[in-house]
Amino acid sequence: MANEIILEAKNIYKSFSGVPVLQDVHFEVRKGEVHALMGENGAGKSTLIKIITGVYSKDAGSIWWEGKEVQVSSYADVQKLGIACIYQELSVEPPLTVAQNVFLGREPRKFGLIDHKKMIKDTEALIKQYGFPLKATDLVSNLGIGLRQLVEILKGLSCDSKLLIMDEPTASLSGKEAESLFGIIEKLREKEVSIIYISHRLEEVYRLSDRLTVLRNGKNAAVLNHDEIEPRKVIKTMIGKEVDESAGSAKEMRTNPNEVVLDVKDFSDDIGRFKNVSFQAHKGEILGFGGLIGAGRTELMRAIYGIDKHKSGTATLNGVELKYTAKSSIQAGFGFVPEDRRNQGFIPLLSTVKNVALTNYDIIKASGPSISDKDERDMGIRAIKQIDIRPDNPDKEVGLMSGGNQQKVVLGKWIMRDLKVLIVDEPTAGIDVGAKDQIYAILEDLAKQGVVVILVTSDLQELIRVSHRILVMRKGSIIKEFNSGVVTQSMVLEAGSGIVD
Amino acid sequence: MKKLTLNQLSKPIILVAFFLILTILRPSSFLSASNLGNVLWSVSVYGIMVSGTIFVFLLGGIDLSIGSLCGLTAVTCVMTIRHFNYSTTGVLLGILLTLGVGLLAGLVHGVIITTFKVPAFLVTFATQIIFLGLSMIFTNNKILSCQNPPAFTMIGKNPVPIILMIIAAAISWFVLRKTATGRYVYAVGGNPQAAAISGISVTKITIMAYMISGFTTAIGGIVLASMTQQCMASTGSGYEQFVIMAGVIGGISLLGGEGTVPGAIFGAVIIGLLQNGLNLMSVPSTQHGLVRGIVIIAAVGFDALQRDPAFQGWLAKRKQARAKNA
Repeated sequence: MANEIILEAKNIYKSFSGVPVLQDVHFEVRKGEVHALMGENGAGKSTLIKIITGVYSKDAGSIWWEGKEVQVSSYADVQKLGIACIYQELSVEPPLTVAQNVFLGREPRKFGLIDHKKMIKDTEALIKQYGFPLKATDLVSNLGIGLRQLVEILKGLSCDSKLLIMDEPTASLSGKEAESLFGIIEKLREKEVSIIYISHRLEEVYRLSDRLTVLRNGKNAAVLNHDEIEPRKVIKTMIGKEVDESAGSAKEMRTNPNEVVLDVKDFSDDIGRFKNVSFQAHKGEILGFGGLIGAGRTELMRAIYGIDKHKSGTATLNGVELKYTAKSSIQAGFGFVPEDRRNQGFIPLLSTVKNVALTNYDIIKASGPSISDKDERDMGIRAIKQIDIRPDNPDKEVGLMSGGNQQKVVLGKWIMRDLKVLIVDEPTAGIDVGAKDQIYAILEDLAKQGVVVILVTSDLQELIRVSHRILVMRKGSIIKEFNSGVVTQSMVLEAGSGIVD
Repeated sequence: MKKLTLNQLSKPIILVAFFLILTILRPSSFLSASNLGNVLWSVSVYGIMVSGTIFVFLLGGIDLSIGSLCGLTAVTCVMTIRHFNYSTTGVLLGILLTLGVGLLAGLVHGVIITTFKVPAFLVTFATQIIFLGLSMIFTNNKILSCQNPPAFTMIGKNPVPIILMIIAAAISWFVLRKTATGRYVYAVGGNPQAAAISGISVTKITIMAYMISGFTTAIGGIVLASMTQQCMASTGSGYEQFVIMAGVIGGISLLGGEGTVPGAIFGAVIIGLLQNGLNLMSVPSTQHGLVRGIVIIAAVGFDALQRDPAFQGWLAKRKQARAKNA
């Protein structure tokens, strides 16, 4: 392997409003290597990549490309150097062909018109060179997500990119599509294209990467060569000894002796996003669901609650089978706080009062068909007091509030009800620390009142801090239960990554 | 006490401005009771229609078919009355049948839109053509007159249409403002996914909205047929323009989730005043369309400007500056 360094970021510092996010970070990529970048949520991976690609400016440090220091202030600068970024949200245009996508914005011309022949010929040549399973004339709208990603990669290669940055490229791919992508990545390596590979999935990193840089709390934790990439060691490096033993990162799990409230048996959908999942939740228990993104936790919860369909299996609440529609589940005592707050959580144009009331018109007083404005408003004001929404203006449109307050409104409409089970999916994503603590307090309070709280979260610290018992899902199945003894972030991450004793 | 914003005050201001301008320009003819009665009379058909179609607008949907459905329902009503020899029984049956046709049309729209996920624009664009086609077949493209019985002709005489408009608007206002169903309409229009998670059936609400739109359109058809004492295939054609215009001028967001019945009725009255003003000032009717179009653009532009954060910032700055000077 060539040892020449193609990209080097030296002594990078960056802070956001006084909070240091990157401190003295060093990162280098050699020519023709697949270099993985790992770290927990908030370790600084995406900030580092955004600095390298010119999206953010750095506070201090320097970036070197092929031995020369460079100043990048936009993605266009970076593209000129020969770096292409394959984002999670693909930027290909479905109505166009592969060739049209590859040459979008810089089509070859002949007499001022687009030279389609040349465009197709050049694209075919590229496809052949790298052995992609594509045709230049394929319509992108007919391609699956995996092939669309290849179009995106092809677009990068057509600009003579020497370095490709891939951010969680397999997050939305099927197993087969991922396999095909790995093959392509290996071919690219043979052609001396360098790749920065960002992933949470240890097995992929182990399989593909020549080296691995681990970030932890905005600092370099380690650079490991391929033969040093040992899963357990990587996890320990990511989480860090001091963090793992500090308060909030390890907690004694317990089994709740109360009666079973929710009993799920053999739950499966028809495309294997969750398979034969069985679990029980007891009265007053906070049951945490851990696992990597894409493990099937969200899909499972949506199906139990009844927004999505499942194929087989049963879910019973106090011995009565659910009817698997949102309306009937709410009547039975369910509440559901969805993962995607902005798109699924609240009605942005409506006020706090009306958002809170939305699930509660069965309990708000009414005379005939006419609901009592006063009772509706009183409920909104009660919710504002109970969950501390600020500012406490009950008429403010929820769309104009901060993320933390929006989430409190979403919670508010459920806690006005006589709940038996509350499912919360990523309840604190993008929320400030103060509001987080308040949300945890609300969840703990509900559990004390006997409500079953099901917590799905990718934030390991949150999972361990809030849960009484933890189930870990992987590839659609529950593979590990922590119901006694001390559990640490490493243990959850190891289970989610498939390292089981 | 809530502070009134520019947005809330703009409607009364515009209404007063219209009155003042027309009073000054045509003092004797405009302010007469008969003229004002005529304005409301001419507004009543699309006032009735927009009272129902507002449900569709609030969902972010659109119903382009209401103009030709108005025609089809007028034809249904008149043909039934004629079939029963202009008897009062015929009138009763005709009204019932016509309302049924309106509800059925709405049901078809709602079911197609929710089952096949076809955009409302396309579905109602197609049914607009179909309804007109059906009217053509039924009338054989001829004018069918219907000047009897009084039970029918009285529907179109003042003040009956105005009273019907007020009743339709009041019921619509009550449902949207006072009932849980009304709240659900705003919720589905504002964020259908969040509404579904909150246990609201988006399908049911959508079908209901198109049925209400069909129902008020049928009432509009009956009133229009009675006013003109005749009907033909082209009766009501272009009325969808007036209804959409009333909604837009009245501050209804065609993206859904925003708008009120009083706003929509305000929009309808403004259209009536505009039309009346143009007539009183002897502007040839060939030029009316041009004026109407410009008014729509002005209304939409004014609305967009008020929502623009840059414009609001500019207003706030001016306010501060003025406070400093004072």
